[in-house]
Amino acid sequence: MISTFFSHELKAFWRSKNTGKSIAVKVVMGILILILLLYVVALGVFLDLLLGKIFPKVDLIVSFCGIILVYFLFDMLMRLQLQELPTLKVQPYLHLPVTRNSVVGYLALTALLSFFNLWPIILFTPFILKVILPASGAMATITFLLSIISLSVFNNYLAMYIKRKANLNGWIFLVAGAVLALLSAGDYVWHFYSMRNLSYLFFGALLTKPYLALLPLVMGGAMFYLNFIYLKGNLYLEELGSRKAAAYKSSTEIPFLSRYGSVGDLVANEIKLILRNKRSRSALIMSSFMLFYGLIFYTQKVYPDGFKIFLGMFMTGIFIISYGQFMFSWQASHFDGLLVSNVKFTDFLKAKYVLFTIVSTLAFLLTLPYVYFGWRVIFIHFVMYLWNLGVNTTIVLFFANRNYKRIDLSKGASFNWEGVGATQMLLSFPLMLLPYLVYWPFSVFGMQYAAYAALAATGLGFVATRSFWIKKLEADFYSKRYKIAEGFRNK
Amino acid sequence: MIEIKNLKKVYAGATVVNVPQLEIKKGESIGLVGNNGAGKTTLFRMILDLIRPESGEVLSNGYNVAGAEAWKNYTASYLDEGFLIDYLTPEEYFYFIGGLHQQNRAQVDETLLGLTDFFNGEILKKGKYIRDLSKGNQCKVGVGSCLLQKPELLMLDEPFANIDPSTQFRLKNILKTENKNNGVTTIVSSHDLNHVTDVCDRILLMEKGVIIKDIATSSSTLSELEEYFGVGQIVTPEIKVDKEENH
Repeated sequence: MISTFFSHELKAFWRSKNTGKSIAVKVVMGILILILLLYVVALGVFLDLLLGKIFPKVDLIVSFCGIILVYFLFDMLMRLQLQELPTLKVQPYLHLPVTRNSVVGYLALTALLSFFNLWPIILFTPFILKVILPASGAMATITFLLSIISLSVFNNYLAMYIKRKANLNGWIFLVAGAVLALLSAGDYVWHFYSMRNLSYLFFGALLTKPYLALLPLVMGGAMFYLNFIYLKGNLYLEELGSRKAAAYKSSTEIPFLSRYGSVGDLVANEIKLILRNKRSRSALIMSSFMLFYGLIFYTQKVYPDGFKIFLGMFMTGIFIISYGQFMFSWQASHFDGLLVSNVKFTDFLKAKYVLFTIVSTLAFLLTLPYVYFGWRVIFIHFVMYLWNLGVNTTIVLFFANRNYKRIDLSKGASFNWEGVGATQMLLSFPLMLLPYLVYWPFSVFGMQYAAYAALAATGLGFVATRSFWIKKLEADFYSKRYKIAEGFRNK
Repeated sequence: MIEIKNLKKVYAGATVVNVPQLEIKKGESIGLVGNNGAGKTTLFRMILDLIRPESGEVLSNGYNVAGAEAWKNYTASYLDEGFLIDYLTPEEYFYFIGGLHQQNRAQVDETLLGLTDFFNGEILKKGKYIRDLSKGNQCKVGVGSCLLQKPELLMLDEPFANIDPSTQFRLKNILKTENKNNGVTTIVSSHDLNHVTDVCDRILLMEKGVIIKDIATSSSTLSELEEYFGVGQIVTPEIKVDKEENH
């Protein structure tokens, strides 16, 4: 039975509208995953050299044994944030004469199909083969591998369990986060104990006492069993799903915007869209993390001014890029309604411009503290802020007319490829290249300020001619709207 | 009100709608019936300019709907949940739609007050987003937002499908009042032959994209439609009478 489930799962993957369509996306996806994988493999292969550099006075095996538990603590943190629950896919089987054990077994097993379970194996196996095998023999190697696999299984199911529990009660997630924070603070802040010593205590002993490998094995097995039992007892849709118990949802209005007629209403609606849906909310949160980019780069003096343009553009305009690249897919679920409603498309576009302006202005204001690194930084930010408002908004909306993919707003944004297509890839070229096309001709001749002035002037020029661009975009939209609406109807 | 000329839609080689000529006059109430795949929803979508016809055109008040905006001022429609902004509360949605028709909140509230019975206390002030409502209640929101727009043309695709019996009766009354008293042209599709023949004065029967019957509703319409859809399945069970007992 479980093999039938797996074959259905494979079909679901290959036949889904998002994986099936464009080869370009598959290729880029494949390359990205391969690069990431190569990084981890390289990290694994050179782990011995790396450890030797970081802890030069400590024996290699000792420092290796020390980092394993630290890694798994970090792993847990990542899983809690990023790993998705395999959920409602079982819904069509629940009412059929399929035993609960096979449904639950399937759900529990598919949970293992996650990249998170691959990382520790790729990361640690090369070291184990390179260092532990020659030093301590085959038995130690096997027990080490077994322990590491068991620990990742344990982490996998513990994260699943916490997430499932947290679906029913949001506090559990906070408690889990607090426990993790306390565990790391106990080591790194208060020095009550040392995670590395603890880790060595176990893995060091494992070298000589192979039977200790039973401990992680039992832990992993027990966690799997706990998950299995929990799932079996709670095989109800509302408990499997990621939809939280409904609290009272109140109507809100944004008084500042309601004065601006239907454009204001549209902006207010879109702000609600962003705040009330998971995927858009996480896009917003990721964008706000970008504001810290400056801390990484401005603290180092080596970056040239050309790079600062890039930084300024990203920090003040990341929302335009990260949210705008999926426009109008955000509204895919009610696009038909928008088309037949009394909304003029000019108003619709104006609302997008207003939204971008509001968020970019906010982002610019939030980057003001970077004045600590000199006025010049803020000056560049301001220039790029103008560029974002003028040029990037228009580019993003131009590509929005070419985006036909529906996205499900209720899923998280991390590792979510839904709605990604050739449009997003193509979009990145003008976004990255255009500012340099304006900047370089001046800056090669040393006219630094003329280059900034040119950027700012182009931005302002586009802002001033906005109504012209809106007309162009509208005409463009009218030639493509059937295709867009059709694409958005495809679930 | 609506005039259709040589309208044709083809999907993957198969013609799904083919209407050479159809005229709907102002104030008519049209019922659209037909089995699954007959092309009812596709026809609706073409009248609303949501899909591009292969050939032909739809005129609304004499103007082609394709690419035009004017018809949106007097046309209200609800085809499916895709017409609702599902992350808003019903109140927010109604105020938004009202705002698009230059109504202030007080005016919207007044219209909603008239719909109290229809909503049956399940829509307003429930503290739910539209996406958390049941399909039937979503339909009520859709119909409510249509009425809010005070349309001249009202189009509903299978509005009776998901709502409870009480709401079905209320909706029928609403449709009749809108049509008879306010002169609203209504186009309603349904699989429930009783409801359509009750509400509509003119029935269009579609089969494989073609309107094969165009009849003015009379007392015999229902049985005529039942005969078409029953295709020989209507068998009145013989009532056996025990002769011994029934001297």
